[in-house]
This record gives sequence, C-alpha cells and structure tokens, in this order.
Amino acid sequence: MGPGVPWYLAVSGTLFAIGATGVLLRRSPLIVLLSLEIMLNSGNLALVSFSRLFGTVDGQVFAIAVMAVAAAEVCVGLGLIVAMARRNLPLDVDLLRELRG
Amino acid sequence: MMVAGAWLCLLAPLAGALAITLAGTRISRRTAGWVSTLSVFAGFAGALASFLATAGRDAADREELSTAWTWLAAGDFRIGLQILVDPLALTMMLIVTGVGGLIVWYSMGYMAGEDEERRYFAYMALFVFSMLMLVQGGNLLLLLVGWGLVGLASYLLIGFYHDRPEAVAAAKKAFLMNAIGDATMALGFFLLIAKTGSLDFTTAFDAASRGELSSSTTNLVALGLLGGAVAKSAQLPLHTWLPDAMEGPTPVSALIHAATMVTAGVYLIVRTHPLFEAAPDVQHLAAVIGAVTLLVAGVIALVQNDIKRVIAYSTMSQIGYMFLGAGIGAYSAAMFHLLTHAFFKALLFLAAGVVIHHLAGEQDIRQMGGLKRFMPTTSAVFLIGSLALVGIPPLSGFWSKDAIIASALADGGALGWTLFVVALLGAFLTGLYTFRLYYLVFHGEPSQCVLDHAGGHGDHAHGPESAAAHAGHSHAEGPQSMLIPVGVLAVLAAVGGLINIPGLWHPFSSWIGEVAEPLVEPSTGQDYLTSLIAVTLGVAGILIARSAFGAGRELVASPGVRAALEHKLYFDELYDALFSRPAQALAARLRDDVEAPVVQRSLVQIGRGTREAAGEVARLQSGLLRTYALAIAASVVVLAIVFLVVR
Repeated sequence: MGPGVPWYLAVSGTLFAIGATGVLLRRSPLIVLLSLEIMLNSGNLALVSFSRLFGTVDGQVFAIAVMAVAAAEVCVGLGLIVAMARRNLPLDVDLLRELRG
Repeated sequence: MMVAGAWLCLLAPLAGALAITLAGTRISRRTAGWVSTLSVFAGFAGALASFLATAGRDAADREELSTAWTWLAAGDFRIGLQILVDPLALTMMLIVTGVGGLIVWYSMGYMAGEDEERRYFAYMALFVFSMLMLVQGGNLLLLLVGWGLVGLASYLLIGFYHDRPEAVAAAKKAFLMNAIGDATMALGFFLLIAKTGSLDFTTAFDAASRGELSSSTTNLVALGLLGGAVAKSAQLPLHTWLPDAMEGPTPVSALIHAATMVTAGVYLIVRTHPLFEAAPDVQHLAAVIGAVTLLVAGVIALVQNDIKRVIAYSTMSQIGYMFLGAGIGAYSAAMFHLLTHAFFKALLFLAAGVVIHHLAGEQDIRQMGGLKRFMPTTSAVFLIGSLALVGIPPLSGFWSKDAIIASALADGGALGWTLFVVALLGAFLTGLYTFRLYYLVFHGEPSQCVLDHAGGHGDHAHGPESAAAHAGHSHAEGPQSMLIPVGVLAVLAAVGGLINIPGLWHPFSSWIGEVAEPLVEPSTGQDYLTSLIAVTLGVAGILIARSAFGAGRELVASPGVRAALEHKLYFDELYDALFSRPAQALAARLRDDVEAPVVQRSLVQIGRGTREAAGEVARLQSGLLRTYALAIAASVVVLAIVFLVVR
C-alpha cells in the first residue's frame, strides 16, 4: 500500500494553488494557459482520489470528461496565442485590454 | 316553414352584405346595388312565407322559439343563438324588409354615380340585418346584440360622406347618444341576470309578472330598458342626434328614421311589456317622455328650413306618439302607428330625396318653391304622405294616430287626460309644420334655384350629395328605380291604415294583442269623438299654414321664440355646457398638471438615471484579465468561507 488518499488530496490542493498563483501573477498568455492546465489536472487528481475513497467510478468518468474539455480548450487557446504571435501582437495579458468598459 | 322563413329573412341581408364586401371591385356598382336590394327582398320573401305559415295556425300556436346552438355559456348561464317568431316579430320583420327593400332599391337611382357605392350598399344590407337581429332575437342578449349592431350600422351610414366634417361629427354624435342607451340597457340586463339568472324572455317576464322581483329591481330594469329605448328612438332628452343624422344620404334618413332604427325603442317597450307593466311608474314615464317629445319636436319643426330636418323632427314627434301609446299600454295602437308611420314617413323622405336629387343637392326649403309645376308626380305623392302624416281620413295615419289618442282618452285620470290634450295639440302642430313644408316646397312662384334645374338637366353640382347623379335621367323627375318605390309607398301610405278600422274590423289589433295584451281599449264612441277633434285640429293646422303661406309670413312670428326654436331649444348648447366643456376642461387640466409634469418628466428621469448608473458600472470593467481572475478567485474563497462558517 502506498500513501493514503489524504496525501493525494494534499498534492492536488498544492497543485491547484500553484496553478492559481500562475494564472494570477504571470503575464504571458502561454504561461497562464499552462497554469490553467495545472489547475484542471489538480482537479482531476482530486476527483480520482475521491473516486478511490468512495469506491465508485463517478469521479474517474468525470475526470476523463474534464481531460477532453481541457484538450479542446488548449487547442483553442494555443491557436489564439499562435495567431497573436504571427500578427506581432504583444504577448502580455495586461496589454490586451480592448474589452475595457 | 314558419321558422325556416324567419331564418332566411335574418340571414339573407347578412349574406348580401358579406357578398358585396368580399367581391370588392370584382362586381360593378350596379351589381352591388342589385345584390343588396335582392338580398333584402329575399328577406322579405322569407318573412312573408313565415307570416303566411304563422297566420295559418291557431292563435295559441303562433309563437315559436328556434335555437341554432348554444352561443354562450358561463357556468349555469346559457344563451342560445335563437330567434323568436311570433306576431310582433313578424310584423317588424315585414316592415323592416319590405320598406327597407324599397328604400335600398330607391338608393340605386339616388346614389348612381356616387363614389364608393359598393360600400354604401354593403352598409345598407348590414343595417337591415342588424335591425332583423334586433327584432328576431330570441332572448334579451341577442336583442342587445342587434341593438348594438344597429348603432354601428347607423354610425357607418350617417358618416357615409366621410370627407365632410359635419357628417363625421353627426355620426359620432349618434353613436355616443346611442351608447348611453346601450349602457343603461346593459346595466338593466346585468341586474336581471343577477336576480333571475337568465336573459330568456319567458323567464324574465314570468318573474316580473308573478311579482318575484322586488319593486326596486323591476323599476331599475325597466328604467334601463327605457333609457335604451329613449336613446334609440331619439326621445327627449337623448334626441339631439336625430336632426344631425340628416347629414347622411337621404335614403339612409328614410331607412333609419322611418322603417327601422328609431322604431326599435317602441318595439322594445312592446316586447318587454311585462317588465314595464310590473313597473307602472316607469311605463307612465315613457308615456310622459313621448308626450313631451311630440310637443317639443313639433314646435321645433315649425321653424326649421332644411327639408330633411323638418321631416326628422316630425319623425321624433310621431315616435313620441308611439311612446305615448306604449306607455299607457295601447301596444297594438303603438305598433299600428309604427307600421303606418313606416309607410308615410319613408314616402316623405324618399319624395324629399327626389326633390333634393332634382335640385342637385339643395335642401333649403327657402330656395325651393313652385316645384309642383315641374314635378307633378312627386308633388302628388308628397301630398299623400303629408295628409297621411297629419291624419286625414281615409289615409293611413288617420287610423293609427287616432287609435293612440283615443287610447289616451280611454286611459282616463289626470295622466290620461293630460296626454289626450297633448296628443291633440300635437295633431294640430303636425298639420302646421307638415303643410308649411308642403306649401313652401311645391307652391308659390318658382325660385331661381328651381328654374335653374327645371327640365332635369343638372350640370350644377351645388350640394355635396349626388353631384354626378344626373347621368341616368330618363324621366324629368328622376330615374325609374327611384319613382317605383315611391309609388309603392304612396299606395301603402294611402291604404295601409285600412287593416284596422275601429268598430268594423281589427285584425291588426288582435294580431299584436296575442303577444301584448293591451291595457286600455277605447270604446267606439271614444274613437269617433277623438277622430272628430283630431281631424278638425289637423285641418285647422293645414288651413293656418296655408293662410300664413298665402300671406307670406312665418308661422312663428315672435323673433325671440323663433331664435330659440331655430337653436332647437338650446339642447345642444346645454349638453355642450354640461358635459362637453367640463370634460374638455378636465382633460386640459390633467394634461397640464399631470401628464406633462408627472408622466412625461418621470419618463425622462428614468432614462437619464439608468444611463448615469450604467456609466458608473462600466468603470468596473477594466479589461484586465488578471483582475477578473482575482475577482473570481476571491469570490470563490469568500463563498467557501461562508459555506464553512454557516455549516
């Protein structure tokens, strides 16, 4: 037997905090996207852990769904970043503020 | 046969109106006229068939209620689409479709060349249908439906010349005055539904005649009905619409003021006579209203100068007689006068129409004169109509008017005697104003206007009516389609009264008596006495009118009285001051003090406030992605803490 479920949850929480910090602090859209992925996967880890804890497969199924959504989201996000790079737009989320009210 | 004929009578004019409306410009104007005329005559054929079938039955078996389907159901309250066929309804059906058909036929000549003829004929058929709905409706609600439809159709017809402001104003006036009556009637019906739970004739009448309703209930219901009757029949004080309604085409005046609409009030009183008998005070009020109206209208008619307005006031006066008769319970006498009045008044209107048509729209009798030389036939039929109106034997008006006056005498008491004297005075006035009109129009030296149009070549479009109506002049006095109906009506006006001769035979009285048992029955002696006095007074009126005409002076000499009468005793001015002006002043005050400062400014304030608030909120939207992310994260943390704490 390896470490117990609480340890996995602790890792998940740590990863989520790291991801959130990245989203909030970094300005490069690429890094923000990477941090977002970390957050999503920390969520996946938590889902699978609980699935293990309760002995049901619900959490695992849900984790797979999250992965699919994350893959799609990365596709769109990376595509946007590539397009921005090719147009020589600044790759800095603080400068991309056309939606200001 | 009895019921089938009645349904045909009801539906044929409706079908005619629909056909003309749907066909639009695909049919010619002439075809539209024929469709309208024939549909009304088809209705007459139906009424005649129904009448013959009914007359062939026993007296006890002459009433039939035919229900098509349940038209309206609300809880226990059910109203069928039903028609009632009985002697009273049949009489009205025959008058409406018979005289109405002649008038529609006549309008084919009168309106020839008029713009929008098809619309006119569709309205005419609709009007006849509405009136039939009114008289055939098998319960009070359907009666009210017909009542309202008649109001609508009259509005459309009076305002037919919709490019003339006076015509539009007259139409609105008629509609508003009638709406007052409709409202009082509807209130009476609501009360009846509340007390008896039904609007069937039999239920309501039985409840009233058995005394199941309290006296205040019956009084209020009867008052409501009387209000409707007074408005529709142009009695005081709701009479002001009728003279103005002369703005419509002349055949419309004939249809509305002779055969149909204005007689609806008399029909209503006779139809609902058990309700009125249960409220005798209200019934006497009807008689008093009729008496006052017949005097007032007769006096005003003495000074009017528009040929149609004189006849209109005479109509009011004659309807006053009918109200008087119905009010003292002489139902068959009232209905008899309604019948003969339909004949001779339609004749007078149509003959006046021939004159107006001939003079290319001139209606002022001061512009006329000496027409007898140019229009001998018209002059003769007008004379017949006038004599019938005054009540000279053996013409129709004599029999019917004297029956009413004799009933007033037979009623006795202070009220009966007063009504008797007033009615006789009215007979005198009738002679005066009728023959003032006749002499001014047909006798004397021809005026310039008459000479201009002598010979029937009328290129002059003086008046608004029938400007282009001279195309079909084959006869000097008017086209065939105008003269034939006038001729038929002249015959009817002459002999129509012979169906009821006191002391000899009285099929009409017994026919109506099956539905409405009269409360008073004059003896033969009273009949003859009345006739003697009334005819003497009528002839006296004629002679005075003649001598006044010969001397070239007006009947009413005093200028003050003349002015009052020419202003129709200031009723319009009174209503203007009492209702119209205060309402307008109130509206102006509300506009200045409520609408502008409160309603309009509050709307502006709401708009401005919203925009200012939006400007403030918009500043929150910085466009900085990381701020948004922080806001989301912070919110999640706060929510998490809240959940933890609450738990």
